[in-house]
Amino acid sequence: MSEVDFHGLTASFEGQRVIGPLSLHINEGEHIALVGKSGAGKSTLINVLYERLQQKASLIPQGLGLVNALPVFHNVFIGQLDQHPTWYNTLTLMRPFSKDKNAVKTLLDELSISEKLWIPAAALSGGQRQRVAIARSLYRQAPILLADEPISALDGPMAHAAMKLLTGRFATSIVALHDVEMALAYCDRIIGIQDGQIALDEPAANLVASDIASIY
Amino acid sequence: MAMKQLRKWLATGLISMFVFSAAQAETFIFTAIPDEDETKLVERFQGVADYLEEKLDVEVRYIPVKSYAAAVSAFRNNQVQLAWFGGLSGVQARRLVDGSEAIAQGVEDEAFETYFIANTETGIEPSDSLESLEEQLRGKTFTFGSKGSTSGRLMPEFYIRDTFDEAPDSVFSRVGFSGNHTRTLRLVEAGTYQVGALNFQVWEKELANGNIDTDAVQVIWKTPAYPDYQWTIRGDVNETFGEGFKDRVTNALLELDDPALLESFPRSGFIPASNDDYEPIRKTAVNIGILD
Amino acid sequence: MFAYPTVRTSFIFLAIAIAGLLVADIAITTANPWQDLGRLFWGIVTPNFFSTEGLLTALLRTVAFAFVGVALGSVCGFALSLVYRFLPVRMFCAFIRSIHELFWALIFLQFFGFHPLTGVLAIAIPYAGIFAKVYSEIFEESDPEPGRLLPPGTTAISAFLYTKIPDCWVQLRTYTAYRLECGMRSSAILGFVGLPTLGFYLESSFSQGLYSDAGAMLVLFYVLIATMPLWVRPKLLPAYVLAAPFFLGDGMPIIWGNVKRFFTEDIVPAPIRNGEGFIGLSEWMADVWVSEALPGIWNTVVLTQIALVATGILSLLAFPLISRHFGGPVRRTSGHIFLVIARSTPEYILAYILLQLWGPSMLPAVVALALHNGGIIGHLIGRQTNTIELRPDAPTGLSRYSWELLPRVYRSFLAFLFYRWEIIMRETAILGILGIYTLGFYVDSAIQNIRFDRAMVLILITALLNIGVDALGRYIRRKLALKTMPTC
Repeated sequence: MSEVDFHGLTASFEGQRVIGPLSLHINEGEHIALVGKSGAGKSTLINVLYERLQQKASLIPQGLGLVNALPVFHNVFIGQLDQHPTWYNTLTLMRPFSKDKNAVKTLLDELSISEKLWIPAAALSGGQRQRVAIARSLYRQAPILLADEPISALDGPMAHAAMKLLTGRFATSIVALHDVEMALAYCDRIIGIQDGQIALDEPAANLVASDIASIY
Repeated sequence: MAMKQLRKWLATGLISMFVFSAAQAETFIFTAIPDEDETKLVERFQGVADYLEEKLDVEVRYIPVKSYAAAVSAFRNNQVQLAWFGGLSGVQARRLVDGSEAIAQGVEDEAFETYFIANTETGIEPSDSLESLEEQLRGKTFTFGSKGSTSGRLMPEFYIRDTFDEAPDSVFSRVGFSGNHTRTLRLVEAGTYQVGALNFQVWEKELANGNIDTDAVQVIWKTPAYPDYQWTIRGDVNETFGEGFKDRVTNALLELDDPALLESFPRSGFIPASNDDYEPIRKTAVNIGILD
Repeated sequence: MFAYPTVRTSFIFLAIAIAGLLVADIAITTANPWQDLGRLFWGIVTPNFFSTEGLLTALLRTVAFAFVGVALGSVCGFALSLVYRFLPVRMFCAFIRSIHELFWALIFLQFFGFHPLTGVLAIAIPYAGIFAKVYSEIFEESDPEPGRLLPPGTTAISAFLYTKIPDCWVQLRTYTAYRLECGMRSSAILGFVGLPTLGFYLESSFSQGLYSDAGAMLVLFYVLIATMPLWVRPKLLPAYVLAAPFFLGDGMPIIWGNVKRFFTEDIVPAPIRNGEGFIGLSEWMADVWVSEALPGIWNTVVLTQIALVATGILSLLAFPLISRHFGGPVRRTSGHIFLVIARSTPEYILAYILLQLWGPSMLPAVVALALHNGGIIGHLIGRQTNTIELRPDAPTGLSRYSWELLPRVYRSFLAFLFYRWEIIMRETAILGILGIYTLGFYVDSAIQNIRFDRAMVLILITALLNIGVDALGRYIRRKLALKTMPTC
């Protein structure tokens, strides 16, 4: 991908306009943090962008969208279902191939959760679930990441490791974050959302934490 | 947990092959209308099966069915090749299977009768004419035997219609179908129905065996004689079982003289029969509208 | 009180049932009904397990037919559920499930004869229609989010296997296991039309007054149903399903010519077969309608409405039996036993028994339907009350029942009742085979007279009547905003 232009983005919920109309220009290689109060429209914006980008983006929604009955392995493998024929996927459901097992395990190692490979997602804690969803999005190897509070349940070191991985592996990323420090540390552009409109759009280098506080 | 099972199920596969061991082709199978209690039928026809097996030198099997229509259907579908039918079921069966023949009937079947019986609490007195009983019968409850029975349904319904010029359910306050003759007897004896109609042979046999409480139930009218039960065989048995098979079956039945076996029917012996013998039954069935 | 639509609806239905009672044939016609009932109970407490050597075989066949029928039905139902969003599929499924297992058996008997396939298909076909509906409802309620996240280009089958199936697996399994229990009941009653299951021997024993033999069969049947959680294990299930086809018995070979004849000749209306043209056909149709269909429909509807209200009344009386808000453990245990027996006895068998004991009228049918369905609803409502926490100073006794519990469960009670409306009608129609003048009586008569064309027309009419009541029941549930889960 190169750059993307969005015009007239809007979303409504029960007849009430939630975001927009707003325009957004994203350059390739940018790592964007969406910040703002809860209810400002960050999640909605992420979802609207996902709809528009369908073919290109990996999404980590706030609800994570894990299949609870499936073990961690399959919840990660699901990111590459399109890479294999149906019979291959069906066999994998019963008995995974070692090639895939190793690939998924390596990825999970980086998130320090590989020991849970065969545990159903339903049995995991909130932080563990978030790491599985992160692994899934990485496994998909899409050029853009769309993530909605992907590290909200992770403790300090793990949150840093995860953000490093996400911004390192995806060429372009748009991540909604409530943690301003994290946003400034890992993203190069900060977009502040207020009442469904863009209230702030600056390079991260130009900002300090107190500048962002105004939109909260 | 769910995953494990899912995997196992996918691996095992849910659809399994249906493997039915079909009955051997050369087994000669017959059935009979279920006109009496099951245990009596099985006892009687198992005896016949053993007898025929010995005489015919092929494997013979009797299969019990739950209704008169099931007997006719099994015969029509060539799942049985021989059947002990009543007058009406025989007519129905032979109409549906080209070339099938009535080959033997009981000595008593040339002149069969239906007995009308009544619970004694009704106070109905026996009579020689049905017409004279009109006053007493009106408004009573009445049961036939099986819907497809000759002596339990066809002939009694014919005489009711013929005598009173009305359908049974306008003569009686309630009309039922007990299912078979033994049950008609029990239901009228118990007073569930006040009046009923049944095969006279069943009545006589039960009476002789001391199985009827004659203080509770009595015969109030007897129909004129008509032809009834017969053995009917499919026309294509010679092709399956060899030339002359039909004649061998006929002879075997006519020669049956085991007193115990005959007693179980109860018949004193079997005599030749033909399809034409049952023409009166066919006409009666058309007359009351249960045959097109 | 009449301001509530649920209460108004209840009273309208009550009024219809009372009007129905005035025209219905309700009577005990036997001279000694209580004596016979006593003999029956004596038979159940003195069961004779060694009467027929066929008893164990019959039990085995009952289980085998249930397993094969339900397995086949669930596979076909599953396939149908994937395309359930298409209207023709929904109509097809509504149609096949509106015809009772016994009617299907009677149809297949005419061309397959006593082949195991008759019994298997009689269960599998209507069950496939029910499975398709319930499975598709389960899929609809599954979490759509994982599916939304899949990479584009994922095949539909892969997506289904990875997102829908695992998410719905537990519900699919629970419902299928529940249906297996229903399948046992269906399988047992198929014996009444001649298949080699429990009903075959039950009918023989009852009709000969061998109450101890019949009692043994009933006791074994209850034990079989009650112990299902013990022997129907998920691990063993594939083994059961694979083994079951081998325990269906021999039956007789299928002759395919009979199948062709049935469809090309037997069920073609007689006037068309005989070339009597349109006039002949319309006369024939008019005759079927006036002399069979209309009286059949009338009796079926009257009996259904009475049985529906009787079911409701019995459910409301029965649920306190197992509710923890009343009385002690002894009453609750005996209440449980009563409700288990009431709901695991197929209504057909109950009606058959009561008809033998009380004589022919609508009364035995009403009582049988009310006992069976009231047992099911009473059980569900009773369990629901056990999740209700009452305040410590809540009134006791009758006031507790009428002021605290009844208002809280009344809506789900009505939901279950209207859900079962169509089921009660389907059963009512079939009870005609036992001699009550509902549609089943006329279907059975047509078959006994070897008039399959008439039988098919009457079965179609019965199916349409069921579909109509089903739609009406759903409309009322929607109007009153009642939600329920499927029962059988």
